[in-house]
Amino acid sequence: MLVLAWRNVWRNLRRSLITIISMASGLAAIMFGQSIMKSLQQQLIEKATGSITGQLQVLHRGLRELKFPDRLIDDPASVEKALAAQRGIKAYAERIMMMGLASSPTSSEGTLICAIQPDKEPAVTTMSQYLVAGDFLQHEPKGIVMGDRLASKLDVRLGEKVVVMAQGQDGSMDADAFRLSGLLHSGSLTFDESIIYVPLPAMQQMLSVGRKVNQFVIRADRLDEVSTIREELSQRLSGGPLQVVSWEDIDHEIVGIERFQDAILAVVLFIVFAIVALGVLNTLLMSFFERVREFGVLMAIGARPRWVLKLVLLESAILGIIGTALGLAGGLVLIAYFGHAGLHLPVGDAFSYFMPFPDVIYMRVIWRDHAFAAVCILATSLLAACAPALRAGRLRPAEALRHV
Amino acid sequence: MSERLIPGPLIEVRDVTKIYPSEAQVAALSGLSATFQAGEFTAIAGPSGSGKSTLLNLIGLIDEPTEGEILYQGRKVSCLDPAAAADFRLRHLGFIFQAYNLIPVLTAMENVEYPLILQGVGSEERRRRALEALRLVGLEAFAGRRPALLSGGQQQRVAVARAIAARPLIVLADEPTANLDSKTGAQLLDLMQSLNHDNGVTFLFSSHDPAVLPCARRVVRVHDGRLVDPAEGVAQDLDADRVG
Ligand SMILES: Nc1ncnc2c1ncn2[C@@H]1O[C@H](COP(=O)(O)OP(=O)(O)OP(=O)(O)O)[C@@H](O)[C@H]1O
Ligand SMILES: [Mg+2]
Repeated sequence: MLVLAWRNVWRNLRRSLITIISMASGLAAIMFGQSIMKSLQQQLIEKATGSITGQLQVLHRGLRELKFPDRLIDDPASVEKALAAQRGIKAYAERIMMMGLASSPTSSEGTLICAIQPDKEPAVTTMSQYLVAGDFLQHEPKGIVMGDRLASKLDVRLGEKVVVMAQGQDGSMDADAFRLSGLLHSGSLTFDESIIYVPLPAMQQMLSVGRKVNQFVIRADRLDEVSTIREELSQRLSGGPLQVVSWEDIDHEIVGIERFQDAILAVVLFIVFAIVALGVLNTLLMSFFERVREFGVLMAIGARPRWVLKLVLLESAILGIIGTALGLAGGLVLIAYFGHAGLHLPVGDAFSYFMPFPDVIYMRVIWRDHAFAAVCILATSLLAACAPALRAGRLRPAEALRHV
Repeated sequence: MSERLIPGPLIEVRDVTKIYPSEAQVAALSGLSATFQAGEFTAIAGPSGSGKSTLLNLIGLIDEPTEGEILYQGRKVSCLDPAAAADFRLRHLGFIFQAYNLIPVLTAMENVEYPLILQGVGSEERRRRALEALRLVGLEAFAGRRPALLSGGQQQRVAVARAIAARPLIVLADEPTANLDSKTGAQLLDLMQSLNHDNGVTFLFSSHDPAVLPCARRVVRVHDGRLVDPAEGVAQDLDADRVG
């Protein structure tokens, strides 16, 4: 039966090849699409978590908005102790994040104040790599680093004074003067226009909060361990006034983008499957009608209806397996190539409003999604085969033999 | 003397009527009865449309009678379910059709082997029997050829080989020579005749060509779905013939 099915597949070489190629290119296209979307998502996550959010944060409970924690962690040492005991953590840093005002002699701008530990922060986030002038608070205890756009809005140059103002815990306004010691250019409008970095000790002093901070930012060894680390760390800190959140909680926009892309992908997937299914159905029906008489002969010499049904299914399975294998191979080659060379897509602009984002996507192999697509293509080809197979199984030999 | 000692006929067609479902509702066969004996070499003769194919299809369990029944060795086989009918054809019947008998993607050898594969015969035994059948039809040398590379007469001989390879009770052949020129047709009938004579293969074939009828040892003539002479429908006892 296998021999017969195999030879039947190749008797109309051109038609079978067209079917196989359409299946293979459908699958390869789907894999390419999956890879673009997922690589984009992962790059997005890496950028988002890498530029400012980090992968995990320890915050006070009961905040109004996770992005700008309005309550301070009273006992940072206890958090440090918990973090020291937790496995899977690559680096962490303490911060005070809050909204504030930056003023020069000529103007004032609302900003996001990011008070960081200059020695620890670069291990957690990557903003320091966008430095275009000066240094990242390494030398100046009361230095300030900001995006080039903000600097030109305020009309300040390196070495010039900037006054930072923010609301203290008791509601009063605190202010201090800082000296512009570094300029960033990340390419992101939001970042370059509205973030300022100052040393944490200077900020603590300005706000008179002692050693208190309002967030711990954590980078895990592996992105996929984030949720387990979150669980374990929450366990360690349970009972206290603190909570552990992940980037998904903070940057829910990204989770939204991810969901949106997944939905688009699902629709495209469905359309491609439908096209492939129709193509396979067409081929199989054509070859079925051409061979009705032959099925009649097979049945006359003693093949059971069920056997003929299986033959048609088997032929389709052969087509499906070859098509899927070729598609997988083609898709992987494509992805490997663009994974290496990078794919230039003008998406950087679209995302740069939120975060610094490059135009080049390095495509990755997303095994789980690709395997799912391959199984779907195979299933589709078998599903499409059901129509002709059932017809073949219902053929009456007398009628089939009369067919010409 | 008890009934059992008298060997019954191999095939008994009892009062069979076949009406194809169509507007006209014409009976292709009406109340036809006949018996056939093992070892026969019998022709069903009649003009086009007289019901020869219909009769052979019913005897071959390829179609079902509207009324009446068909018995093999006393067992009723009409109205079996499709799978059981297929099994019966596989084990007990051989078929030769007018044309396009062979599976085009398989070689002559593989075509002959096919019913044996379906029967589950082991590959060695299968090979041996298929080669033997091809040798009997004189096509051993063409075993590896696909049907497209064989002449019409050769294709029909491969079909004969396939029909006899499984050693059926009877080989049913519907107009086996209709697509062949008269010389090739005569050769095919010669082959069938010698298989009948030398190897004891039972043949029942149809033809609308009066020229082939002299070859047959028995002729059953049909017209408009009935026997021209009901007496022709009764098989003589071949063994009695021989002994006598
Ligand atoms: N599937 C069918 N549906 C309707 N009518 C049919 C069908 N098959 C045969 N008939 C009719 O039944 C009658 C007998 O047909 P059958 O094919 O048995 O004749 P035949 O003797 O084999 O003729 P031929 O020599 O042309 O092969 C004819 O009138 C034919 O038109
Ligand atoms: Mg006919």
